[in-house]
Amino acid sequence: MGKVWVVIRREFVERVRTKWFIISTVLGPVLMFAFIAVPLIMARRGTRERAVAVVDGTSAGFGQRLAIALDQAPAIRATWLPTPIDQIEAAADSLVEMIGLKVIDGFVIATDEAVEDGRAEYRGANVSSPRDMETLSNLIEEAIFTERLGRAGVDAAVVRQARIPLQFRTLKVAGSRTTSSSGEGSFILAYVLWLLLYMGILLYGVNVMGSVVEEKSSRIVEVLISSLRPFELLAGKIIGVGGVGLFQFAIWGVFGAIMVDRRELVFRALGESVPGGELPAFPEVPLGTVLVFLLFFLLGYFLYAAMFAAVAAMTGSEQEARQAANAVVMLLVLPSVLMIGILNDPDGSMAVTLSLIPFTSPIAMPVRWAAAEVPTNELVMALAFLALALAGVTWIAGRIYRVGILMYGKRPALGELLRWIRAA
Amino acid sequence: MTTESVVALRGVSKRFAAHTAVKLLSLDVPAGSIYGLLGPNGAGKTTTIRMIMNILVPDEGTIMLFGRRSTGRDWSPRIGYLPEERGLYRKMKVGDLLVFLAETKGMGRRAARTEARRWLERLGLGAWEQQKVDALSKGMQQKVQFISTVMHRPDLVILDEPFAGLDPVNAQVMKDTVVSLAKAGTTILFSTHIMEQAEKLCSAICIIARGEKVVDGPLADVKRNHGGRHLIVALERGVGAADRVFKDRSLIAKADEYGHYAELELAEGADSQRILEALLQAGVRVTRFEVAEPTLHKIFIDRVGPEAATAPASGAEANG
Repeated sequence: MGKVWVVIRREFVERVRTKWFIISTVLGPVLMFAFIAVPLIMARRGTRERAVAVVDGTSAGFGQRLAIALDQAPAIRATWLPTPIDQIEAAADSLVEMIGLKVIDGFVIATDEAVEDGRAEYRGANVSSPRDMETLSNLIEEAIFTERLGRAGVDAAVVRQARIPLQFRTLKVAGSRTTSSSGEGSFILAYVLWLLLYMGILLYGVNVMGSVVEEKSSRIVEVLISSLRPFELLAGKIIGVGGVGLFQFAIWGVFGAIMVDRRELVFRALGESVPGGELPAFPEVPLGTVLVFLLFFLLGYFLYAAMFAAVAAMTGSEQEARQAANAVVMLLVLPSVLMIGILNDPDGSMAVTLSLIPFTSPIAMPVRWAAAEVPTNELVMALAFLALALAGVTWIAGRIYRVGILMYGKRPALGELLRWIRAA
Repeated sequence: MTTESVVALRGVSKRFAAHTAVKLLSLDVPAGSIYGLLGPNGAGKTTTIRMIMNILVPDEGTIMLFGRRSTGRDWSPRIGYLPEERGLYRKMKVGDLLVFLAETKGMGRRAARTEARRWLERLGLGAWEQQKVDALSKGMQQKVQFISTVMHRPDLVILDEPFAGLDPVNAQVMKDTVVSLAKAGTTILFSTHIMEQAEKLCSAICIIARGEKVVDGPLADVKRNHGGRHLIVALERGVGAADRVFKDRSLIAKADEYGHYAELELAEGADSQRILEALLQAGVRVTRFEVAEPTLHKIFIDRVGPEAATAPASGAEANG
């Protein structure tokens, strides 16, 4: 144990001292903020104004009212083109050319059918943007709605007043009590956990791989193995690098907690007004979630680090190792690719399966835990499977590592690998 | 045997997939000796050393260290090992690296720091303690690695090709340090294919070729037992009669005559005693008859055969 401690300390101290550690500790939250905030901001701010023409073939002035309604909407500049009904196709042809010249983005063809049957047509360069199309169709629908109300003799103002937008508040129920977390809040929490787990396991696992490759290619491993058991070296290395990961999480956690606690100051510093005097709701992070996160991070990291170490021991150089590690990385990417599915239906069969399989559970289970209520027996089962897999993988990886670190030359074929594993 | 064996191998073999690297090797490294493990490249020297260090496990046979059946790793506080393939953590500071390596051998942190400083000073690297290994020249890195081998005051130092790749100045420093360690009572086991070095340094040797032992024992014994291939003869009377004996190709392969003095090389399988007999029977009065001591190099070539002596240092002689 004493010697393992010596290895742990070296791995930890040498890593924490590097520029890489300092940069990633500072940049990590920045990147994470960017990951979450940028899509939100992009979605909210929208993009440039769309120039839209309304080809009006209607007989009762609906086209003009539609053009005005569109023009009043943000991000749309609408032009009214009154057109006799038999000239519509000719007008459309010339407008298509204008789209080609990027004078306008598209045009709406409105005829009397619009008001009567709810039919309208849009041709444009931006039809593939779901957001643009949704905005446009909502606006047209609203205009038709108003028009038809008018024809039926109903005052549009009365209707508008009757239609109060719903303010829908969602609160997560966890452990038989209502938390202050909103639905959106627990979604963000789950998303953050996924990012931390995925990046943490991948980055630190790859770190272990690099460390093994360094020792092997610099040949210092022979000196080390003459005084340390291969397993002592491997265990010390994995624990030491994992310690760096936990240390980094601790730094982020403490700073994050301070930021959340003082968020009023932070908002003020950013020049944002505090909306309605009420602070934006932050997802509550229960202790249970933190514990589940740490537990699955550690076990998952050990599992993947052992595999990365075995891969590194089989190969001779950093590039070769990276190539060979692709298979391991794929296992880790799998639950990430399916993340949206897990979040949309945290109790669905896919989410449950992924959170029980040992290679995907380190990421899937904490995410599910944050997003929904997970039955205790599933959590226990996931942990048991993961622990079993960890024991098996460590045993195999340890054997590959022991033989591999002293082998140079060609990468072993599967048969030879099996011989390494069987070797006493 | 009056001296205790620090390292003892009995019938040790190691096979790899394609070939047998070491075959039924037995040897004894006496305590306090400088022991040379000699052989051409690929003879199995490194494999033998790796088995002693428990980096490789022998397929058969036993290895005893300090008189007990145990492995190199169990004795790591008492053993210093310099592998053939040198290597250090390139990004670590020299001082930290030495402390770490000493700690893996069970040395205390503070003692290691002090000892590292002392050795760095001794080998002229005192100013480099806080520098990264990367910043050192190759020769300096070799010195650092040598320090890591000996700084925990081991009783047994195992050096695999310690002089390979050293410039003459560093080779001299290495040799001096090895000798001073031996004087202080440390047992040194080192491998080399350069016989001249072994000849000057070793008190005992083992020559191996193709994984098998050719000869071993104290250097003086090896030389004495090998002897007989060179003769120095001085005569008082009967030069003509002696000349006839010298011409006998069944006894003498080559004779270098100076009248009353001759240097002879024995023919294959000839016994020096038969020559003495022949000379006396021919009525020659012999005043000096000396079996000259062969050089280790000569022994090596004779025993291993020129075709096995692929090392460049012995190539010229083997052809001549």
